[in-house]
Amino acid sequence: MSASANTALSLKGVTKHYGRVRAVENLSFEVAEGRFFVLFGPSSVGKTTTLRTIAGLVRPDAGSLEIFGKDMTAAEIKGRGVSMVFQSFALYPHLTVYENFAYPLVEEKVGKEEIDRRVKETAAMLKLDKKIDRKPNTLSGGEQQRVALGRSLIRRPKILLLDEPLTNLDAKLRHDMRAELKRLHRQFGMTIVYATPDELEALSMGEEIAVMREGAVVQRGTPDELYESPKDLYVAGKIGSPHMNLLQAKTGKDKSTFETALGKLVSPKKLAGAQAGEAAIVGIRPNDIRIAKKGEDAVKTQIRMLEPLGDVTVVSVAAGEETLRLVLPEQVASGLEPGQAASIYLDPEKFHFFRAAGGEALS
Amino acid sequence: MSQSSSFLERIGFFKSGNVGESGWGRTLGVGLISLFYFLPVLFIIFTSLKPQDMALSVPPTLSPTSLFGLIPDHYVFTPTLENFSSVFSRSMTSGGAPEPTGFDRYFFNSIVIASTSVFLALIIGTLAAYGFSRYPLKGNDTYLFIILTTRMLPAIVVIIPVILMFRVVGLSGSYIGIILLYTAFNLAFTIWMMKSFFDELSTDVEDAARIDGSSETKVFLKICLPQVIAGLAATFVFGLILTWNEFLFALLLTGPDTRTVPVAMNQAVSSGGRGTDWTLLASIETLFLIPVFLVTFFLQDHLLRGVTFGTVKR
Repeated sequence: MSASANTALSLKGVTKHYGRVRAVENLSFEVAEGRFFVLFGPSSVGKTTTLRTIAGLVRPDAGSLEIFGKDMTAAEIKGRGVSMVFQSFALYPHLTVYENFAYPLVEEKVGKEEIDRRVKETAAMLKLDKKIDRKPNTLSGGEQQRVALGRSLIRRPKILLLDEPLTNLDAKLRHDMRAELKRLHRQFGMTIVYATPDELEALSMGEEIAVMREGAVVQRGTPDELYESPKDLYVAGKIGSPHMNLLQAKTGKDKSTFETALGKLVSPKKLAGAQAGEAAIVGIRPNDIRIAKKGEDAVKTQIRMLEPLGDVTVVSVAAGEETLRLVLPEQVASGLEPGQAASIYLDPEKFHFFRAAGGEALS
Repeated sequence: MSQSSSFLERIGFFKSGNVGESGWGRTLGVGLISLFYFLPVLFIIFTSLKPQDMALSVPPTLSPTSLFGLIPDHYVFTPTLENFSSVFSRSMTSGGAPEPTGFDRYFFNSIVIASTSVFLALIIGTLAAYGFSRYPLKGNDTYLFIILTTRMLPAIVVIIPVILMFRVVGLSGSYIGIILLYTAFNLAFTIWMMKSFFDELSTDVEDAARIDGSSETKVFLKICLPQVIAGLAATFVFGLILTWNEFLFALLLTGPDTRTVPVAMNQAVSSGGRGTDWTLLASIETLFLIPVFLVTFFLQDHLLRGVTFGTVKR
């Protein structure tokens, strides 16, 4: 993803400190036009500050911001072509749904009839046409969310910023809104920057994800890239559910054999970056472990706990000092019971290796 | 509220006649307690309607009507409006011709001075409160505390320097002087009240307006102010009552032309060496009650939201 003519958004070395708190530290990334881009990371990692910087609510201490190739670092908020949905929805509580929708257009001095047409069109699109005269506090959470979305979309922004828009909704609504947001993105084709601490939202909606840590981007890529080859332990631990199993290990002399509590685990290729004798971490995703077939190179374990989740069951097994989690299809897991012995098979092709000190991936 | 609601319902006189979940029993109980607290006011209103010689009669006359024979005759008085007319015009010496008392002027003074100064304080104080809330200075709380200290001293302590200063600059006895003083007097309270209302507002909402293209002025006027209308109403009423009642500054700093009702009342009842004229006093007080009552009544919905603001998660 190189910087091309249709780069919607480009941040270079953006830094913002609040007193001693480093909200954003030397943050750089680019977003191609029309992309659904997700900023992913736990709370207080700088996602909101990043969005507020793009919107112009926050002026960075250092670094630059370009929107469609134009330097907007110090530009006025108005004229950036950016709109934002807040986690708290931030509806105008004293105005009706109609007036909330109309507000950005009134500020843009759009004609009355045009406003009326667009408000009604937006309300119909978001199925709010019957609530148009209501005040926000008489609406349900989901409806408030749609008003917030509508108010942001009605200006036809080139870039839409969404700050944890689903966090305040219940689980069922969240699911529906994920689909709704994807639909709106397809329909309008605007660039979306979506901040979320929820990996499910990130993986299911993002075309591209930037994993953030301490105010900077750790790794950027498609959901598959992040899942298949996490750059370090931090990303490995954040992406994927249930989380990746991490085993303490010691690197062997050949730089491909790793001594663990499960015995020797062998990398299919030699890891040039590894150093013989150093401490390492071997990561195995729960989905990459299964019950061993006869004749396979199996590890003997004991079942500790079963967590049935419907069509799959998460099984925790003990192997020496370590506990591993694996995801098994329901048919396979139905015969198992805690305390039982189980032979499991670990797929060497799916191993991830990290340096214990620093946590970066070994290759 | 339905479309066909009467005028009284629309202005909130009957809250759609709803007794609520507490039922008649509790409603009646609350009504009786309220009546008990209202008794002094009721007493003043009744006294203002009594003939002069009945004002201090023992046992007191309690009702202007016998309520169809329910109340024994010696507790009943015959209501008269004579006291009210003598507020504005009466004979100053026994047997003399009625003269105007100037109370029309004093009521006008009270209304102009109180409402102007409370309005001024509301405008200045609201702007200051918004500033304190949204653009905090270094040592913001210290400034706020200093503002509060202006109200910690008893008025009697500061009155002497104020009198001297007013004499020097020629503000003594003028409208401008007393209005300025009351404005300053109300500012501390207004700033503290309004700041707490602005503090309660979500700044996200203001940021949303900025992103929607509003200037800072519009954020204040179109987004913040409409959200604190309840606070403005509450602050206005509290300030109005305080200023309306104020006696000490008015006594020392108003002249014959700018005298307010509390001061004039004192002089009206104690002059002439005839002892206190209780019915006259009650009439002045009853008239004095009306403006504040009306303002409070018309702002009651906002008031209730104003005084309970922030105590309930909405």
